[in-house]
Amino acid sequence: MAELKGREPEVFEAGRKKLADIALSGNAEASVAATSRTKILRRLRFSEMVFRHLTRAAAILVLIILSGVIIALIKGSLPALQAFGFNFLIEERWNPVTEKFGALAPIYGTVVTSFIAMLIAVPLGLLIALFLTELCPMWLRRPIGIAIELLAGIPSIIYGIWGLFVFAPFLQRTLQPVLIDGFDNVPILSRLFEGPPYGIGILTASLILAIMVLPFITSISRDVFEAVPPVLREAAYGVGCTTWEVVRHVVLPFARVGVIGGVMLGLGRALGETMAVTFVIGNAHKVSASILAPGTTISATIANEFTEAVGDLYTSSLIALGLILFVITFIVLAAARLLLLRLEKRVG
Amino acid sequence: MSSIAGISHTVQSPVPTVVGRGTNDAGKLAEKILIRNLNFYYGDNKALKSVNVPLFDRKVTAFIGPSGCGKSTLLRILNRIYSLYPHQRAEGDVLLDGSNILDPGQDLNLLRARVGMVFQKPTPFPMSIYENIAFGVRLFENLSRAGIDERVQSALRRAAIWDEVKDKLHANGLSLSGGQQQRLCIARTVALKPEVILLDEPCSALDPISTAKIEELIDELKDDYTIAIVTHNMQQAARVSDYTAFMYLGELVEFDTTSKMFTTPGDRRTQDYITGRFG
Amino acid sequence: MDRYVRRRLGNTIVITLSIGATVLGLGWLVLILGSLVYEGLSGLSLAVFTQMTPPPGADGGLVNPIIGSLMMTVLAIAIGTPIGILAGTYMAEYGKAAMLSVVVRFINDILLSAPSIVVGLFVYEIMVAPMGHFSGWAGAVALALIVIPVVVRTTEDMLSLVPRELRESASALGLPRAHVVRYVSYRAARAGIITGVLLAIARISGETAPLLFTALNNQFFSTNLNAPISSLPVVIFQFALSPYADWQKLAWIGALIITFAVLALSIIARALSASGKSS
Repeated sequence: MAELKGREPEVFEAGRKKLADIALSGNAEASVAATSRTKILRRLRFSEMVFRHLTRAAAILVLIILSGVIIALIKGSLPALQAFGFNFLIEERWNPVTEKFGALAPIYGTVVTSFIAMLIAVPLGLLIALFLTELCPMWLRRPIGIAIELLAGIPSIIYGIWGLFVFAPFLQRTLQPVLIDGFDNVPILSRLFEGPPYGIGILTASLILAIMVLPFITSISRDVFEAVPPVLREAAYGVGCTTWEVVRHVVLPFARVGVIGGVMLGLGRALGETMAVTFVIGNAHKVSASILAPGTTISATIANEFTEAVGDLYTSSLIALGLILFVITFIVLAAARLLLLRLEKRVG
Repeated sequence: MSSIAGISHTVQSPVPTVVGRGTNDAGKLAEKILIRNLNFYYGDNKALKSVNVPLFDRKVTAFIGPSGCGKSTLLRILNRIYSLYPHQRAEGDVLLDGSNILDPGQDLNLLRARVGMVFQKPTPFPMSIYENIAFGVRLFENLSRAGIDERVQSALRRAAIWDEVKDKLHANGLSLSGGQQQRLCIARTVALKPEVILLDEPCSALDPISTAKIEELIDELKDDYTIAIVTHNMQQAARVSDYTAFMYLGELVEFDTTSKMFTTPGDRRTQDYITGRFG
Repeated sequence: MDRYVRRRLGNTIVITLSIGATVLGLGWLVLILGSLVYEGLSGLSLAVFTQMTPPPGADGGLVNPIIGSLMMTVLAIAIGTPIGILAGTYMAEYGKAAMLSVVVRFINDILLSAPSIVVGLFVYEIMVAPMGHFSGWAGAVALALIVIPVVVRTTEDMLSLVPRELRESASALGLPRAHVVRYVSYRAARAGIITGVLLAIARISGETAPLLFTALNNQFFSTNLNAPISSLPVVIFQFALSPYADWQKLAWIGALIITFAVLALSIIARALSASGKSS
């Protein structure tokens, strides 16, 4: 008979009696065993059911948490959304005094820093993954793997404090003057690298983000590269391909979907990163052409201003920012998951 | 009542049967389990087609056939272990001592305590050797510490492994060799005093010496238990079993005493399989 | 240029780039750890662990943020771990094919990578605002919401690794499902699940954003969870961004402590999972 989703059927009196009868007619010892076993099992059935329902309840709780987050965010942002409407997204002004708030600068900062960070981290990550899977001597693989994991595990506030006290001054002294002078006379690009070398700013924040996201991209890419069947690689080498050609024509196409999924996950992380960015972004609600200028991101704005926000509209605007961030990261992460799901279906 | 006349295809029926109550009248063999018109589905895929076969009380019945013929599927119906999975279902009758275990009212835990199973891969629990056995016993019976000790010992003796482990009962079950682990699994099953023991290719993961030990064990165990064994090793089937069933593509092709099956099989397909023409 | 020479050249360039990338990518680790040790180690003393955070210009330590962090971490683990393990158990054992599992797995993975500042906002809305004040409880709940997805994921993954045959052997003995899960599956996956919990601890040790508007901060020593309570990450945030040199020094020391704790946890987790695999 059909079995329902792994549940065992109820014990019906008739069934048990029948078994007990048959057992009784035969071996006496077996019959005693059967009836006492029945008793024991009946007692266990209750705790069995409780446990099962408990696990299901816990699973449902996860769903509730997500819906709760969305609902709470929407509820909290309603005042701001009602006051500003769609203009909230394109308004650059952020003035607590006049209570005019616009999300353009934070959104711009979030998108630009993440974009630049990925621009740097993805090629670097792929190259490191290439090194680890094709070129690295065996004895070195584990230590490097551990180093990557350690990097990934360092809390973001550490990156923030390091960025503020070590990296930013360093950039201020070295890279930024070079960029400013170097691009001074280049027609369009000079606008990108204008301004005094603050040390902090969008570029610095992007670089810190890149360093943070790099181990993540590297380890996902490495896992995906390693999953390529050795036979495929060997076949390519056997035809006389160079290492790069094997990677380009065999490994990368095979690993393409996984890498893209990993990149999107990394992007999701970068978009939501708070502490590393807050320290070095400069916290200026401005959209500037120059990436050397200070700016802000959504999470940096919230982190810096929430506890000092007075007035419902101010608080609500910050929550609205949080909602926007959540929606953006949700879309990116959901797309990444769907992509990876498709990959898993294809392979396994 | 039931008779084996309903079995499809050519069958040399040994003796007319009577629904057994554990008795064994001279000349008549008791059916411990009777499978009637059994169909089995994995989702929409029909894996067993109208199977009819008896398992005689305290005899060893072997199920042979090429890969995918359904012999393991059939075995897994006898203790309803397939019920763990939602998309698998069985239709028909499987009578254990006359009562149909496919009934929705059937208590599965009780059934499985009566019909034990040993799997292809040795699966000791992640516990000590003692606990592996005591664990199940403790669940079903209220015994004193001494009572459990005695059960553990008798089970390990029955599985012919007592001498090898008596000094290390608290060592982890996984520390034993493959053959020992499998005998531990047999001891674990026997400790619950089942009536039927199902063996699903019990030796396929073991070396020849362990295999020989287990085959000896089967020979001893059949005095007390009805045994069904699935094996892809025909010589093993010939060595250990009293009755053999040959299956092919989900159907029971032939069922007979082992000696008859391997010397003068009735069906052409049986003969081809046994002589190695295919499979 | 000869085609083959061109290919060789391209290959060499890429190889050089990849080695350079590796050095560059991992060089940060050395630089960051180096800075931490350089700036923080010199200030590490007993006073750090016994004195409260001082006003600028005075001497002090980090005992209140350390205690606050410990309390909230323990609480977050106590709340989040059971929920996470139970949910993971449902998905791996009871509801393996159920639609609910598919949806929860998807949602869980999103929550896993979601910005933690959003979690902070959520807890603010549901706890701090209605309660009218910041509290350690709210902070603990925010951290628990970060723990849950991590534990759900690792529990489900580890339980899924338990071989199907092991579960079936336990069911084949007649053990009810909950027994199979609790005494066999959990035991087999124990090392992995504990590793997951350790990783969750490591993750929340460094989380700042969720605490910023839930637990806030407290410059005095307090164990009252019903009021704002101090925590290491928040103190580092506040002190590092301040213009006071002695506060900045304390921020470095705090950063060193957190990093050290996180690295130690990661190493233990890794050692555990390695030993789990070998058994």
